[in-house]
Amino acid sequence: MNNHLNTTLQPTLPTTLLSIWQADTQQRAFRKIMNAFARPGVIETLESEALLLTLATLLDGATTFADFDGILSEHDMARLEVATATAEQARFVLTHGEAAPAFTPSLGTLESPDMGATILLKIQAIGSGHRLKLTGPGVDGACEVAVNGLHPAWITAHQSWNSAFPLGVDFLLVAEHQVMALPRTTRIEGIK
Amino acid sequence: MSAGYNFGFLDEHAKKEVRRAILKAISIPGYQVPYSSREMPMGRGFGTGGLQLTLSLIGANDTLKVIDQGSDDSVNAVNLRQFIEMTCPGIDTTTHLSEATLIQSRHRIPETPLKPEQVLVLQVPYPDPLVVVEPSEDKRKIMHGEADYARLLVKLYEDIVKFDEITISHRYPTRINDHYVIDPSPIPRWDVPKLDNSPALVLFGAGREKKIYAVPPHTKGEPLAFEDVPFRVESFNDAQGKRRACARCGATDSFLDEFMNEDGSKRYQCSDSDYCDETLQASKMTEAATYA
Repeated sequence: MNNHLNTTLQPTLPTTLLSIWQADTQQRAFRKIMNAFARPGVIETLESEALLLTLATLLDGATTFADFDGILSEHDMARLEVATATAEQARFVLTHGEAAPAFTPSLGTLESPDMGATILLKIQAIGSGHRLKLTGPGVDGACEVAVNGLHPAWITAHQSWNSAFPLGVDFLLVAEHQVMALPRTTRIEGIK
Repeated sequence: MSAGYNFGFLDEHAKKEVRRAILKAISIPGYQVPYSSREMPMGRGFGTGGLQLTLSLIGANDTLKVIDQGSDDSVNAVNLRQFIEMTCPGIDTTTHLSEATLIQSRHRIPETPLKPEQVLVLQVPYPDPLVVVEPSEDKRKIMHGEADYARLLVKLYEDIVKFDEITISHRYPTRINDHYVIDPSPIPRWDVPKLDNSPALVLFGAGREKKIYAVPPHTKGEPLAFEDVPFRVESFNDAQGKRRACARCGATDSFLDEFMNEDGSKRYQCSDSDYCDETLQASKMTEAATYA
């Protein structure tokens, strides 16, 4: 469906990148992303670069998106065909995890907490670095996970934005081919 | 592409909307996420909510099991399975729970515990447990947000005053993660404890009411009850207090359906046909081993 965009904008796109716009690739990616949300702390490996594949899987013209740090190329933004909004209002926000948060996302409302944003945090690595202890729904007891390149202020922000359940935001950490979710119900403690 | 449809019948935009709703449903356990619920080629009330979930999840490497009231062979299960087979070329279907990656069910959760890698989709006719005490959806949404279930508890209390026990047989209101109370779909009380600390993700789809909600794995699911009137499941004891066994496989640990024989006597049999077959198979093997 999007093929005409490819030929006009990026005639030399490699086939591995092309596959992320295909329905069967997105179906497989979604199942992994869903499992990540259902099981915080579980690291899922997607079949190509996780950032663009996740966005291609979840976004279309019926939702809103903010690329807070301008991470995406113009070509990719065009192919996503998503409506843009400010980081304060968008349903999906993409930003670097290295720096402290510089915006306050939508937390939803008491009646419609699903309007709270999903924040995609691009970090260096999942599975190595600072260790975190996670508890909450989806975690059998407690689990540990390591992240590299996530500013500690994001952990504090996760706690404060999610302090009045059901209002809140849900994080999806993204690094290379990997994703890991920290939904609003997850309690995060840093391990020294 | 079989029959000229997109894989999974729904267009990719419809699937994306359902998928976004699923992620929010998981992130806010028990909250009913609204979605647009597309027109399906079958009447609303025939499992279109569960069907849209299944079609948004399924891929060519999935093995699907469809259950209607515990059975793979009753009419709703057969129709849905055939429709999914027709519109999702390449998928496998099975009646064996252990082989399935995706399970769509109406009115039952399988007897055998689910595996972590399985996903259970339940068809939901009425998603909101508060509808019996509050007709306005706007007000119900606020009550849910505030976790205000006082009026629902009063309703349960009135039952106890009138009948000495809570009379809800199925769709038993269940509190998820200490906040939202859900209608767990018309599963019997027998199945409600399976939602607590479930090994697998459970998704609920209400097509007519346009809602999707979820109970994530390892999440607290607590049926509403009172300290002095605890929740209890159906009893299958006879007049002498002896646990009835399935007339077919002999199981004494399953949910039983009651049938009338022609002479008016009653016969009890497992509701979960796959579980009944497995138990029967296992007892035959033991018998064969004994006589060998």
